[in-house]
Amino acid sequence: MKKPGEQVLTKEKRSYSHIFRDQRMLLLMVIIAIFIVVSIINPNFIGINNLIAIFGQISVGGVLAMAMAMLLLTGVIDLSIGNIMALSGCTMATLIVGNTEGTMSGTAAAGEAAKSMLTSDTGITSIPVAILIGVLVAIACGALNGFIVAKSKCMPLIITLGMSFVYKGLALIITSGRVMAFKLAFEPLRLLRIGGLVPSTLLIFIAVVVASYVIINRTRYGRRLVAIGGNEQNARLSGINVDRYKISIYAIGGLYCAIALIIFASRLDAIKSTSGDNFNMWALVAPIIGGVTFDGGRGSIIGAFLGAFFMGIVQNAMGIMNVSPYIQVMVNGIIIVLAVVLSNLQNIRKQ
Amino acid sequence: MGEPRRPVIEMNNIVKTFFGVKALDNMTLDLYEGEIHCLVGENGAGKSTLMKVLSGAYKPDSGTMIVDNKKYSRMTAALSRELGINIIYQENILVPWMNVVENIFVGQEMAKGGFSDFKSQFSIAKELCDSLGIELPLNTTIYKLSVAQQQFVKIIKALSTKPSVLIMDEPTSMFNTQDADLVLKMVKRIAKSGVSIIYISHFLKEVKQIADRITVIRDGKPIRTYDNTGKDVVLDKVVSDMVGREASMFYEKDVHTIGEKAFEVKGLKISPDAPEASFFVRKGEILGIAGMVGSGRTEIANAITGASRKYGGKIYYNGEKIVIRNPADSIKNKIAYITEDRQRLGLNLNASIVDNLTMVGLQTRIKKFFVTVRKFIPLVKDIIDGLSIRMRSPMQDVKSLSGGNQQKVVLGKWLFTDSEIFIFDEPTRGIDVNAKSEFYKIMTNLVKEGKSIIMISSDMPEMVSMSDRVIVIRQNRIEKILEKDEISENSIIRYALEVKTDEKAG
Repeated sequence: MKKPGEQVLTKEKRSYSHIFRDQRMLLLMVIIAIFIVVSIINPNFIGINNLIAIFGQISVGGVLAMAMAMLLLTGVIDLSIGNIMALSGCTMATLIVGNTEGTMSGTAAAGEAAKSMLTSDTGITSIPVAILIGVLVAIACGALNGFIVAKSKCMPLIITLGMSFVYKGLALIITSGRVMAFKLAFEPLRLLRIGGLVPSTLLIFIAVVVASYVIINRTRYGRRLVAIGGNEQNARLSGINVDRYKISIYAIGGLYCAIALIIFASRLDAIKSTSGDNFNMWALVAPIIGGVTFDGGRGSIIGAFLGAFFMGIVQNAMGIMNVSPYIQVMVNGIIIVLAVVLSNLQNIRKQ
Repeated sequence: MGEPRRPVIEMNNIVKTFFGVKALDNMTLDLYEGEIHCLVGENGAGKSTLMKVLSGAYKPDSGTMIVDNKKYSRMTAALSRELGINIIYQENILVPWMNVVENIFVGQEMAKGGFSDFKSQFSIAKELCDSLGIELPLNTTIYKLSVAQQQFVKIIKALSTKPSVLIMDEPTSMFNTQDADLVLKMVKRIAKSGVSIIYISHFLKEVKQIADRITVIRDGKPIRTYDNTGKDVVLDKVVSDMVGREASMFYEKDVHTIGEKAFEVKGLKISPDAPEASFFVRKGEILGIAGMVGSGRTEIANAITGASRKYGGKIYYNGEKIVIRNPADSIKNKIAYITEDRQRLGLNLNASIVDNLTMVGLQTRIKKFFVTVRKFIPLVKDIIDGLSIRMRSPMQDVKSLSGGNQQKVVLGKWLFTDSEIFIFDEPTRGIDVNAKSEFYKIMTNLVKEGKSIIMISSDMPEMVSMSDRVIVIRQNRIEKILEKDEISENSIIRYALEVKTDEKAG
């Protein structure tokens, strides 16, 4: 007879079947499969330059997806992060170039706008101050979302959906609906390549992923976030100040929006009030595909990263294979629905 | 009654086991046509489980049910309905935004040519109300009605399905005397119309008032059935049947010394109009809080620990006044609150055992910014061993543990703190005998170390054998504080049910 508690603390039994039930592993295998298939069709796909291009394409959305993943793990959501990014950018650009002069209307090409801006010198503040204010605006918007969600005890989905229009409206007011340029403020960042190859923005993205991983898995703060996401009542009864943590994670989400904006600005050097609209959904879909659940507490940063990467390679692969952009939209939709249904298979079986 | 009585339901030798604990142990019950059959027993005696077996919510391990001369080994919800058995639960099942008539007909809406037939529904509802002699604002939205009125709606909703058997579980528990009388009158009328009624209640006086027969259940067994057609049952006998247990069911607790006052509550109010409650617990003492479910026991614990709002009252720790506005304050003041509802309140089911065990300690013991969950394993090893939590790995999700082991994790979480006052709410509910005695050992060790325990429990043997003093709560009021030598099942039940000495004569 074994004494009670004797088998306690023995090494975890190794069984490999669970690996295939892990959505992250499945996703990784799908990613590898896509790589193999598309590379056979077009060998350029596997090249280092294309890989860098893929990361370039997903870096803005990827940073936002990290913010969303951390929010989802805390059991909340922010459907305005794209709009916070745009508002932060519009604020920054307006401060750099001024509101009246040197801006171009409507759909003018961003590059041209930037060039014309090089000569004008009517900025409201210096570039560093503008960047600082822009970052602070993003953090403040996030914190405001968090404050309303935490204190009103209303559904974060609806609150932040409403706030997304507030931020978009603010951006419209600031820019009068025009495309704003950054006067090449982020040009040095764009040109900076580590080892002459890897763009610095890619490294920023990777740094954000690593930071998010460390925050969630390796800090007391992060463990509490996950505890709140897993069971908010239990967290509160365990002495965690739930409101404070919610507000702070929304604020960190705001900071991520600013980081995403800096990558965005260095790539395009121009922004308008609606630039963030598509990112809200993108940033939500990436973690969900990666196995982060909608109702909180379950999932991982690595999963969210793989989700973002997956979205990137699918888009890139369709581009390389000349798939019509119209079809691409539909394919993206199908992927989202498929991923969510597949990740819910276990629950379906249970019922 | 002169006419020969025909049983409509016979439940024979029903056995139902949860986690190795027999909730129903060869339970037998019969119900005659048109009678009011009352079930009484302590919390957890098996009354509700039996009714859930009858309504098809639970599948019995063995036993048979005879309904209308047909034998069944189990019910399903649909079958039980088809046989005319309808159960009115304590919980609210009404749709707050619909009006009375709509609520009555949810699931059995009447229609004419595809469109809702409000007229017929209204007239049927009106008829039902009239036949029972009650008045209800039929076109009013539910949430505007009083609790009592909502209870009437539930009853009428049940009657609209024309049941032959109606099961009522504590229909008057949230009522004042006047409303309760209305319900009782209604129940009598329903029985007179030929419907057989199984009526579960903690209020022995009302049971005596309406019952034709009374069956006492204890530990899942039928103890005795009293005939009460003359409304003359001796409640004192009923109480002794409810509590009589063999000595073997009690736990032998070691004797140890009790110190000074450690924790005191003065004038605590759990709602704006609740009576004030004052009590204290000493070092090394186990203070039991007894009372029926819903008597306000858990609410007191919630108010003390800041889990819910309190409406007045001061709290003292070692003679010093402390302020507790939220659970974090309570933890800072070394109070541990081991909640009753472990899955909803006590655990993060999707997280590992270690994560759960360190959830509170992370606030108080581990004050580092960077942490690695795996490195906590040695820290909680003693607790895991001490509680003998059975598991594959400490990194295993709590979700995959058995109920008893989950309960141990909840307790372990609080042992991994510097707490001095432990509040246990139903510490051993739903766990098997062995795990129970392990729990008792741990509790005894805690008080031996000079810590204090406040224990809320419905388990009578546990209450009697573990407590040094017992507070009996009834309807949010401290009815009685029993000293060590006064504690017995009989005395506790007597105060919890308000069966005073004047009832003894019958």
